Amino acid sequence: MDVFSGLAQGFQIALSLQGLTFVLIGVIVGTVIGMIPGLGPITAIAVMIPITYGMDPAIALLLMAGVYYGAAYGGAASSILLNAPGVSEAVATTFDGYPLAKQGHAGKALAIAAIGSFVGGTISIIFLTFLAPLLSKVAVSFGPPEYFALMLLGLTAIASLSEGSTIKALISGTIGLMIATIGIDAQTGTPRFTFGNPHLLEGIDFLVIALGLFALAEVASLIKNRKEKASDMHNIGSLKLSKKEAKELTPTMGRQSVLGFLVGVLPGAGGTISSFLAYITEKKLSKNPEEFGKGAIRGVAAPESANNAASSGAFVPLLSLGIPGSGTTAVMLGALIVLGIQPGPLLMTDHPDIFWGVIASMYIGNILLLILNLPLIPYISRILLVPRQLLISLVIVFCIIGVYAISFSTFDLYLLLAFGILGYVMRLIQFPAAPLLLAFILGGMMEQAFRQSLTISNGSLSIFVTSPIAAVMLLVAFLAFLVPIMKSRKPKKKAPAENDQSA
Amino acid sequence: MFQTMNKKVSIILILIAIFYLVLSFRLPAYAYVPIDSDIVPIGLGVILLLLSGMLYFIKDQEQQENKEHILKSELPVILGVICFIILYIALLEVIGFIIMTVLFLFLCSWFLGYKKHTVNAIVSIILPTLIFLLFDKFLQIQLPMGILPL
Repeated sequence: MDVFSGLAQGFQIALSLQGLTFVLIGVIVGTVIGMIPGLGPITAIAVMIPITYGMDPAIALLLMAGVYYGAAYGGAASSILLNAPGVSEAVATTFDGYPLAKQGHAGKALAIAAIGSFVGGTISIIFLTFLAPLLSKVAVSFGPPEYFALMLLGLTAIASLSEGSTIKALISGTIGLMIATIGIDAQTGTPRFTFGNPHLLEGIDFLVIALGLFALAEVASLIKNRKEKASDMHNIGSLKLSKKEAKELTPTMGRQSVLGFLVGVLPGAGGTISSFLAYITEKKLSKNPEEFGKGAIRGVAAPESANNAASSGAFVPLLSLGIPGSGTTAVMLGALIVLGIQPGPLLMTDHPDIFWGVIASMYIGNILLLILNLPLIPYISRILLVPRQLLISLVIVFCIIGVYAISFSTFDLYLLLAFGILGYVMRLIQFPAAPLLLAFILGGMMEQAFRQSLTISNGSLSIFVTSPIAAVMLLVAFLAFLVPIMKSRKPKKKAPAENDQSA
Repeated sequence: MFQTMNKKVSIILILIAIFYLVLSFRLPAYAYVPIDSDIVPIGLGVILLLLSGMLYFIKDQEQQENKEHILKSELPVILGVICFIILYIALLEVIGFIIMTVLFLFLCSWFLGYKKHTVNAIVSIILPTLIFLLFDKFLQIQLPMGILPL
């Protein structure tokens, strides 16, 4: 099936009444969840997984695409309206988004964020449409050593690129891999680290970890800020942009979308880095850089286009190699597997309908986000008026329902609580949680690839260097691990936020 | 020896790594494969041991005091919420989803300092009922009924 007939078929499902209804539901739910401070796409997708249980995969995908884009946009909205970026991807948006809102132009900032996300997403999906099939063709020739090397590269990349200490990120990733070894070993049937508990035989469900480490742990910081007054932005101002502003924003959105896509394709990089990079480059390119930080419209358009382009770019390795490059795509992989879809190089040849269905859903999700959210923004932003105390209880209940509806076991609920506490402690001692989640999801696949490789080579590690592709990837993985450690020995690099103020 | 946060965390992690390694070495052997199920866990245990050792020698980032201060003032509230969650989980299958969720939402919000009791009660009753109907009728997922004779 070629690109166009594949897409046509995908669109046929997406544009049916049922399809559109579910994208709509997804976009609204995603926006609402994303707007809650601290909750982002990871939580939004995780909470929606039980809902898609038993649904037609094509329709469920549409729902998820809506949720995914909605949540990213919701994060931008809370950055602009509250100066409270829920997730790190949305931090750069606060620099100019919040000043704009304070000047009474919240509506304009929200509109720019929506248009920027749309442009970034769309440009990125067009690249994805053509790049993913090409990469799939290359990836078909990959054997276990190449896969292992690739996944290791993804892990060390996310560890070295995440904020804070690389050692801490690597420890976090190692613990994720360790948690993945719990349960019956797939190759020998030996139960590992189950302590005789039958609930642990199948291993720990990734939803428990995703919701615990991210959503439940965030509840603790919501508790800390529970007395903060809810938003007082009753009037968000006009959503319209002038012709001059549109002209000013077009090149920004264009170049930042391409840049964002490229960053997103790389394993480990993704939304956070691309949004900061976009903000900084745009400031450097600007004729009046002093406007940045005081409500420059390009300061909102740049990170939003780049961030959304990167989120879609991250789908390239996910769809063509079956390997997620970030926490969010890792949860998306989990969601796809629950639906019975195994992304990877064979997806395109074996199930072209699903492959193109995913891509068509992304196009539609992105378009609907724009046309639905623009008029709905004033209403959706009322979620920010919900008192924090009530919100906290609701988030806890949604996490519990999310896990229970998949496993029907109270044991998993206690585990959820334990991971919530672990996530909270990790925040206190500044260990990033995303490497743990990604490592946990990759863990099973990595171990399998590693042992298959060694079985092929009869136990000799040389198999990882005799394959040139694997050797190169392992070398890069090693460098990704080594360079930040060398750097940390030199005087400390400034954090992106400080960097930006001084730049 | 334990003066900084990194050193404390590093010691705890080293203990975890040793515990994990001991368990890994005690995994039963399986004779018919060249690569047995203990290889990867042993490797991971060693890696964690090395990384935690490196962490011991890394200087802490600042702001630690500030964080600990917040921790102390908020800890009772967080522990309180954890107790609520444990009770909720423990009684979920016994008492049932609807009753427990109504109680949890109302009491937890109250505990956190939400003063508008009427609004709280309305939300606490309507939401669980709606969620239950959504799962039961629309998604065909059975949430625990408990003592409610529905």
